[in-house]
Amino acid sequence: MYLLFILLFPLLLGSFLLIAKPAKAFGLALGGSIIELIISCILLCDANTGKLPTEFISNWIPEAGLKFALFVDGINGILILLTALLVPFIIGSTAGSEKANDAKYQGLILTMQAALMGAFLAKDAFLFYFFFEASLLPIYFIINLYGSENRTKISFKFFVYTLFGSLFLLIGLIYVYLRTPGNTPSADFETLYQTASVLSTKEQSLLFLAFFIAFAIKMPMFPFHTWQPDTYTVAPSQGTMLLSGIMLKMGTYGVIRMIVPMFPAGIANWGNWVIILSVIGVLYGSIIAIQQKDMKRLLAYSSFAHVGLMSAGMLTLSNEGIQGALYQMLSHGINIVGLFFIVEVIERRTQSRDLDQLGGITSASKVLSIGFIILSLGSVALPLTNGFVGEFLLLKSVFDYQLTIGIIAGITIILGAVYTLRMIQKSMFGNASKFSINFEDLTISEKLVIIPLCILVVLGGIFPTVVLNYSQPAVDLLSKWIK
Amino acid sequence: MTPVIALSLFGIINLFLGFTFKRQSLQVVTLLFIICSMALTAMDWNHEYLWFGDMMKTNNLSINFSLIIQLAGLLVVAFSNGFGKDEVYTQPAEYYAILLFSLVGALLMVSFQNLIMLFVGLEILSVAMYVLTGSDKRNLRSNEAALKYFLMGSFATGFLLFGIALVYGSTRSLYISGILYNLSHTAPESLPSFLYAGIILMGIGLLFKISAAPFHFWTPDVYEGAPTIFTMFMSTVVKTAGFAAIYHILDVTFGGFQKNWIITVYFITIITLILGNISAAYQQSAKRMLAFSSISHAGYMLLTVCANQPSTSSNILYYSLAYTLATAVSFAVLMVVAEYQTGRTEKPENFDALNGLAKNNPSLAFAFTVALLSLAGIPLTAGFWGKFFVFTDMFNKNLTYPIIIAVLMSAVGIYYYFKGIISVYFNSGEIEKIETSFLFKIALWSACIGTLVLGIYPTLLKSIF
Amino acid sequence: MIESFGYVLAFLVAGTGFMALVLTLARFIRPNRPNDEKLSTYESGEAPVGNANVRFNPRFYLYALLFVLFEIELILLFPWAVVFGDKQLAAASENWKHFALFEMLIFIGILGLGLAYAWVKGYLEWEKPNIQAEDFKSPVPPKAYEKFN
Repeated sequence: MYLLFILLFPLLLGSFLLIAKPAKAFGLALGGSIIELIISCILLCDANTGKLPTEFISNWIPEAGLKFALFVDGINGILILLTALLVPFIIGSTAGSEKANDAKYQGLILTMQAALMGAFLAKDAFLFYFFFEASLLPIYFIINLYGSENRTKISFKFFVYTLFGSLFLLIGLIYVYLRTPGNTPSADFETLYQTASVLSTKEQSLLFLAFFIAFAIKMPMFPFHTWQPDTYTVAPSQGTMLLSGIMLKMGTYGVIRMIVPMFPAGIANWGNWVIILSVIGVLYGSIIAIQQKDMKRLLAYSSFAHVGLMSAGMLTLSNEGIQGALYQMLSHGINIVGLFFIVEVIERRTQSRDLDQLGGITSASKVLSIGFIILSLGSVALPLTNGFVGEFLLLKSVFDYQLTIGIIAGITIILGAVYTLRMIQKSMFGNASKFSINFEDLTISEKLVIIPLCILVVLGGIFPTVVLNYSQPAVDLLSKWIK
Repeated sequence: MTPVIALSLFGIINLFLGFTFKRQSLQVVTLLFIICSMALTAMDWNHEYLWFGDMMKTNNLSINFSLIIQLAGLLVVAFSNGFGKDEVYTQPAEYYAILLFSLVGALLMVSFQNLIMLFVGLEILSVAMYVLTGSDKRNLRSNEAALKYFLMGSFATGFLLFGIALVYGSTRSLYISGILYNLSHTAPESLPSFLYAGIILMGIGLLFKISAAPFHFWTPDVYEGAPTIFTMFMSTVVKTAGFAAIYHILDVTFGGFQKNWIITVYFITIITLILGNISAAYQQSAKRMLAFSSISHAGYMLLTVCANQPSTSSNILYYSLAYTLATAVSFAVLMVVAEYQTGRTEKPENFDALNGLAKNNPSLAFAFTVALLSLAGIPLTAGFWGKFFVFTDMFNKNLTYPIIIAVLMSAVGIYYYFKGIISVYFNSGEIEKIETSFLFKIALWSACIGTLVLGIYPTLLKSIF
Repeated sequence: MIESFGYVLAFLVAGTGFMALVLTLARFIRPNRPNDEKLSTYESGEAPVGNANVRFNPRFYLYALLFVLFEIELILLFPWAVVFGDKQLAAASENWKHFALFEMLIFIGILGLGLAYAWVKGYLEWEKPNIQAEDFKSPVPPKAYEKFN
């Protein structure tokens, strides 16, 4: 029941906010998302120790063999945690702005959370697809109703692009699902994994491409990333946080959950190319990030670079690669949400995100600048921050896979340090510009968002084993399917 | 077949009620009539009957089709609130009577057991539609549309009749059962070759009615010229009835000769998908876009006819229902907005006329969005499952390449359906609150909620179909 | 069966042949001296004015439609009458006669209702042009005219 609760609660609360439009939307949304977080934590802990059932299965479309099945294991547990953890921060980040009590806005964020939860919780591949697509609608409306200039065109591009990709996923899924053993086909993940032995190498290669295009567009991966920087830039901050913090993880989660165990022969065929593409993406993203002036765009490209490394690590199929990707999903989500929030804070005060127009904020606000540095260092993967653990595991897996690729991927740490430190230096230090001269210190509500995120960054760097141990059994199980 | 008799009677009664009743109350009476005949239809559930000298058969499949068709009729009548305004030129009693009569034709088309009955049903439906298309007598476009529809429709009927004649000539029977019996007791070599021509000609006659390319040229003009309320009727009732007949002819009767017609129908399907979707993407007028979208949906439904699996009939039912609900809602919203915009803008049926609808009419905008999402096949709506079931059928038949085309084309579909959503929600424009009648609201909301419920829990009806 | 059409064919061939023969013969025998007067449409009649493709008044169409409607009814009624009068069929089943009569009554009843509807709606009225009444007021009193005449 807990499983059902964490799926339906944000949905119901979100719809309530959308329909009834209460005046105190902020309190309701924040309270709701914290309840959601608490219940999710209880669920994750107790399901792991066996106190709560890990599955909820009921019939959905028995004629087609589809089930409304939810489950939680080590892999999606991390993503459920991520979703439940970040949404309170995202809602909290609206505090003090005119969006805080905009019931429509909060309602859209909560329905978005429900869709994301659904995608991560789903045990049935079509249920996953269902939420995978459904999550597009709230974010489309968030961008389009609250975004900045040119939003209609850009969000339309984003929408059509991602939907186009997921249509390939749909036909690929239908194809695999019809090949499952048994009288009525089934789309349960476990059953789908069994098709690996039935499908020929050629089929697997084609299916790999169909699935991969969908997820690569979602992540996004080079060369399917063209929608990303624009969309991140025009979206309102909370939309960008949802997109980069949680939504892109649907792509990486899809790769781990479906592509990795389902098409071993496909990966054998194409994996090498995709890893090379990913590494190209990492380099490309980092180099472009160095030249950006707009902080939001810079972060968009940095996120693009990080995702490239994740996908490279996952497709090495090694235990470390998958573990690293999972851990990196969690830490990247925390870091990027924090960083986007800081950009939002700066923009609220100076009406500018341009690095050339900023500077000298440290003197005005110590907390902001320390928080910014901690989050950035987490993103650069300094030891003792959460980014380090994931990045280390990922790089190790890529090194083990092939030395040259590993070395090229390793360069990105340096490039990452370059663009991040450049961003900090240009915005925080130096002389205050005319935009940032009257910079006001953080309000309490803003501190309440930044400080916990910084603590999470450090905690994640010191105690990674909590999370890694949590996901270990599931990853082991997955490795068994790969073999 | 009590509903056929009942609807004919109701139609005649309706004509005479026009003398005594107020115009507005006629709508309610017609609604009650249709609900009554739906109840009569549903009473035969789980029984198989032969009627009219074995010329018609009702079983669960035909009952399902009949119910969908009458539901479409119900929606159209509930949405029709514009008849009462013009006292001199509109004749609500006659319109409603003709709608009821054309429902009779549609019911004959879904349950025929004799090719003559198919012909009679098709003619009753078509002649009624020709009249309704031209019912806006002072509008030149409406006149043009009626004439075009009539001429092209007569041609198609000719094809159908010729096909029936050839089939009769080669199988010596007009009864479906007789045809099946004779076909199974004759060696395939000794069948005359004009049987195959007959099958194809019958197919063409029917494909015309569902506006499959290359027999679609009348569709955009007729849909645009006809008063919107009758366009709605045309695109829902005629299409569903047409598909019921196509399924009955191609898959049930001549399913054994699939290798003889499949290539033609295949070709037609693919052209329909491509032409319908690509042309729709270029339209400025929302009404014309919906006309082309109806062509493209005919393509998707033909895909499952091509696949000819055991689940085909249930898939056509599901798709028709999803399509009917969504199309009815989108035309209804378009209709009230166009009525509001007439005189305010040059082209009240363009996408631009919808700009800024969401601001003062959130419920209309929401319903329109749900309808367009369903037509585009986005999850959470019934249209998604319609497409899903069709694709499943195709893979079961191993028709991989048409699926690729269908998928690419539904990506194109997303583009043009979203034009509507963008103008409703995100473009700036001024539309005041549009007052709609109580019945209109009920119909709008029930169709909208139906689309969502079917999109979330398709088993609700899939288990019946 | 198909042989019985032979008579029709023979008639066709004979008819066409006879016409052709007679007309060709006449062509050789008759004198041929045309002039304008002789070539006009109505020789020694009125001189034709204007185009022959004139528009007919729509009210004729209404009557044509009604005529066709009831003619089709008659076309159905004749074979029905033949079957209805068949003694063998009537003897075969007791209720048959009532049933057939009732069926035809329904059919005619529906047509009658249609006619009644059209009548009440005023569709059967002969559409008369609106004759404009003379509204010219002459300053001269009518009596003055009478006197003058």
